[in-house]
Amino acid sequence: MMGEMHVPARSRARKTTAKTADTVATVVLWALALVCLAVLGSIIGYILVKGLAVVFDPKFILGKPQAINAGGGILPFLLSSIYLTLLTMVIIMPIGVGAAIYMAEFAGESRITRLVRFGADSLATVPSIVFGLFGLALFVVAFGMGPCLMAGALTLALLNLPAVMRTSEEALRAVPASYREASLGLGASRWQTIRKVVLPSAVPGITTGGILTIGRILGESAALVFTMPLFATKAPTSLFSGGAAIAPNLWYTLTEAITPDAQRIAQGEAAALVILILALNLVARFLAHRYQARQGMVG
Amino acid sequence: MTRRDAAAVAKPALNSEWIVRKTLFVFAMTTVLGIILVIFFVARESIPALRQVGWSNIFLSATWNPNVSNPATGHYGLLVPLAGTLAATLGGIIIGGPLAIGTAIFLTQIAPPRTGKLVVRGIELLAGIPSVIFGWIGLVVLVPMLARVTNTQGYGILAASFILGIMIIPTVTTIAKDALETVPEEYKQASFGMGATRWQTIYKVILPSAKEGLLVALILGIGRAIGETMAVQLVIGNARQFPNSLTSVTSTLTSRIVTDMGESTGAFRSALFVQGLVLLIMAMVIILLIRLVTRKTVKAA
Repeated sequence: MMGEMHVPARSRARKTTAKTADTVATVVLWALALVCLAVLGSIIGYILVKGLAVVFDPKFILGKPQAINAGGGILPFLLSSIYLTLLTMVIIMPIGVGAAIYMAEFAGESRITRLVRFGADSLATVPSIVFGLFGLALFVVAFGMGPCLMAGALTLALLNLPAVMRTSEEALRAVPASYREASLGLGASRWQTIRKVVLPSAVPGITTGGILTIGRILGESAALVFTMPLFATKAPTSLFSGGAAIAPNLWYTLTEAITPDAQRIAQGEAAALVILILALNLVARFLAHRYQARQGMVG
Repeated sequence: MTRRDAAAVAKPALNSEWIVRKTLFVFAMTTVLGIILVIFFVARESIPALRQVGWSNIFLSATWNPNVSNPATGHYGLLVPLAGTLAATLGGIIIGGPLAIGTAIFLTQIAPPRTGKLVVRGIELLAGIPSVIFGWIGLVVLVPMLARVTNTQGYGILAASFILGIMIIPTVTTIAKDALETVPEEYKQASFGMGATRWQTIYKVILPSAKEGLLVALILGIGRAIGETMAVQLVIGNARQFPNSLTSVTSTLTSRIVTDMGESTGAFRSALFVQGLVLLIMAMVIILLIRLVTRKTVKAA
């Protein structure tokens, strides 16, 4: 009888502990997520608070860099970053999207596709500083380019190739099979179908991936420290001339620069980078949103 | 149209399609060619150091004392940066792992839709912040803060761990979230139906069935932390000795490479490529680990 009395009491106790544990876990999980948000918020907040005043000073954004004196600007760095982004994208988009078309449209599941995927996974996992070493050994030294725009762009192209390939392949695979069947049924060839039907439908997805890649190119520094100059007073005038991009120059400013206002330049550069990346994120989201709205209409 | 006419029209299309196909194949193979070239060139540049300084003086030595004027006579032991890399990575996972996995659980099991969306957006933004900016904030905010609290200079493993912990959150959370989302809804319903609380369901049903995916998320986070360079270089102190506390200066493989490359020549430079080679091997081990974990899942399924 004692035992029978005991069971409900114990099970009630167990139920209460379970309820307490559930409440505690819920509170802890909320707290963890809010900590993540708070960390992000304070990082962005700090960058903008410290940097906005600097970055919107025309003398800073449109000025010439100074190696020794205070009061330097960052226009050549900005231009270098833009040129670098353009050149890298020109190299990477045809190859990345082409490779994605091959993987999504032509190759089935074979030894070749497994090999390509292994190559892409490997490239995606190799640290960017190792790409920097590779770029130094191959482009800068073996090809004799020296640290320049082209050496940086080629290095970044290889670094970002897996990401462009993956997002493009996902976009291509998201195009409904019925589109392809309809086009093939009308007598179009495989390539015509891809060019006129599949690719246009995948353009928004490919574009979103491309914009995120631009963000990564703008922020990359480890792969560029050995392949491009860290400081230059002029923007590059040709594909094989020097020029320093903003992100690697920010690292240089923090470690090696001797200008008395290095702190101010770092604040301005950090803010400029974050503003550019925030803007790119907004554009990518806007495009994805519009694309979804359009898809909703079709479906 | 006669049959011959049809063939005449079809043939050029077939030919150009063959060319297109082969061109796209070559594009796809650039990934394979790329990784082969990376391995080849980093390995090739490592050979002079291994020849002139010797394997044991590099892999079994903790003395880093380069000789700039006569590089072959310097000491290039990599045990200190290797230990620094492992310690900072471990610290990063200890700090960032629970935050990231916890956030993923929150997003898939608890979050109200709007809060969830906000957190996802936040994590996407966090992923976009350049690593040199994390380093800058570490340098001007975190290091002085740690210096005050611990009464040291603030540089070292602890500072690097905090920065890495934050930086791995997007990688780990995104993949962990995907893994948790693949757990079938019926599992959850069955558990609730038996009277389990939400936490019991998460702990006893959802986490065990997403185990492999969560492991992959953490392994990729480790890979990210091992290779992180600029952020770590700015806060670790880049000293040549083993750390004797969490807040004493040391170096990592990546920070050593970036700090010393500028003044290096000959065997000195080559020794830095050896450290790059070690990073490359670590990346390959990460990939193999992930394949091992996911293969097991495929077999089980």
